[in-house]
Amino acid sequence: MDDQGCPRCKTTKYRNPSLKLLVNVCGHSLCETCVEALFVKGSGICPECGTALRKNNFRVQLFEDPFIEKEIEVRRKILKDYNKKEEDFKTLEEYNDYIEMIETLIFNIVNNIDVDETRQMIEQYKRENKDQINKGRNKKSKDEEYLECLIEQEKEESSLKRKFIVEEEQREKDSKKKHKEALLDELMFSDRSALDILNEHKTDIDKENELRVPVMATTKFSTGIKLMGKYLRHIRSASDEEKGGGFESKLACMRALLDAVNGLFYLPDQV
Amino acid sequence: MFASSSQLKHWMFNNEGEIQSLRQEANARYVEEHGTKMSEEQRQAYFLSASEERHLCRHFEFVLKEFCSRFQPPMPKYVLGTALCYFKRFYINCSAMDYHPKDIMLTCVYLASKVEEFNVSINQFVGNLKGDREKFANIILTFELLLMDKLNYHLLIHNPYRPMEGLFIDLKTRFRVLENPEKLRKGAEEFLEKSLMTDVCMLFAPSQVALTAVLVSAAKEKANLDRYVTETLLKGMSPEDIKKLQVQIKKLRYMVKSQEQIPREQMAHLQRKLDHCRNQENNPESEVYKRKLQEMLNEDEEIQTKKRKKISEEQKKKDDELLFMPSYVPSSNT
Repeated sequence: MDDQGCPRCKTTKYRNPSLKLLVNVCGHSLCETCVEALFVKGSGICPECGTALRKNNFRVQLFEDPFIEKEIEVRRKILKDYNKKEEDFKTLEEYNDYIEMIETLIFNIVNNIDVDETRQMIEQYKRENKDQINKGRNKKSKDEEYLECLIEQEKEESSLKRKFIVEEEQREKDSKKKHKEALLDELMFSDRSALDILNEHKTDIDKENELRVPVMATTKFSTGIKLMGKYLRHIRSASDEEKGGGFESKLACMRALLDAVNGLFYLPDQV
Repeated sequence: MFASSSQLKHWMFNNEGEIQSLRQEANARYVEEHGTKMSEEQRQAYFLSASEERHLCRHFEFVLKEFCSRFQPPMPKYVLGTALCYFKRFYINCSAMDYHPKDIMLTCVYLASKVEEFNVSINQFVGNLKGDREKFANIILTFELLLMDKLNYHLLIHNPYRPMEGLFIDLKTRFRVLENPEKLRKGAEEFLEKSLMTDVCMLFAPSQVALTAVLVSAAKEKANLDRYVTETLLKGMSPEDIKKLQVQIKKLRYMVKSQEQIPREQMAHLQRKLDHCRNQENNPESEVYKRKLQEMLNEDEEIQTKKRKKISEEQKKKDDELLFMPSYVPSSNT
């Protein structure tokens, strides 16, 4: 868990498990204090491999294996430039070849194979497709668009529901206030006994609560229920145990009707 | 669904003649096997003929129906339908002399109650019988696997009860002209009960049986459902198809109406004859059966002891080999 200690101050990681490790482009990790210490002096080289570093290139380490962190970094950089989507290719094979090429590039760089050649290829690609890269940077893939659409829908629905609840509460408060005032008026100005007036008001309130049927946001009905509506009137409705088990009356009704007509035209082979 | 069921693919026949010939073949096979040394007349006197077997089976189907109607807890009708279907299918391929109907009858009901999810334990089941309950329990459990095997493990039966319910729902929804379809229910159920005693389940589709039942009941109540059938139910079908369906319905109706009475007087005599000529190897009460069972158990034991001996011998051999291997003998001197 401790990544065997920070390479500079060795012991500090064991003593303080909450100390974070930061990793940089060469793949070697350093604890926070060491990063500060390293850049106080103004110099920026990795203590293990001596590559030149910049302070803002340090990222919080997500994975234990620094190799993986390096690969992630390389991948992110490359994919920023190689950002063609599936819709840009005519055939599936072309898209697959493109993806494979990207993987080969990443693999080469991470494992230090033909690094110079690979970097040259990347530069060439960047030069050739400069416009497309810039355009593509802002375009989102179809999937992302769809997801965004869904999220928006959900947000709308939840805001509608919230509005509705708030309105309901407001309505309830108003009606309660009205009742209280009416009650007080009657107690003050009418001649009947106090008990009678109280009872009458209580029954009025109960009746009102019954009438106010909660109007739920109606979800769209599937056409199946609309068609089946008339049939369902002639069949007993599902008991609670059956509904809990997933058996609706619609299913039983459909089954009976289908069985009634299935096989009506069955004829043996030699009549 | 019936259309994709094993019932349609394997257990539907073309006409009554085909079923009859299959039964006769089963009978002939049994006679051949067990009557090798007899002459023709002797055989006729000793063994049951195919028609006598048929009478016996029909009698036991009736007994089955009575048993199910008196069953506690009350048994739903589709369990009875399934059990009868199993019984009929079994005796198409096996002779009644091979396996006695009274044993198979109980096994059919027990298996049907399991398959149709009308769960009764074996003890509850035999509680409905009079006599030695343990013996019955043993019989049922012995023959259960055999029954399934002879049915080719096709256990799902499509009975006409659900199609009948579907027709009633449809009548109530789409044919409002008829004021009270419920009055047809009793007549339809009676027709279905009568049809259970015949072979219609193996000749016609269950929806056809249900439709015939409803039409027969309507005829009795003087209600005319022809308009319903041609205009609502079969809307859009070609007239030839409708004609063919009408022919089927007529055949069905005739078959159920004209079933013969079971000759009760012959029953006692036939049962005695059966007791003589039945296959004693399959009779759980006979000495032959018990002896065979014992032999089988002994055989099993023998096989077990032989195996154990073999294993211990091999083990001994291995041990000896190890001890006599020259290079492994520890030398006591340097």
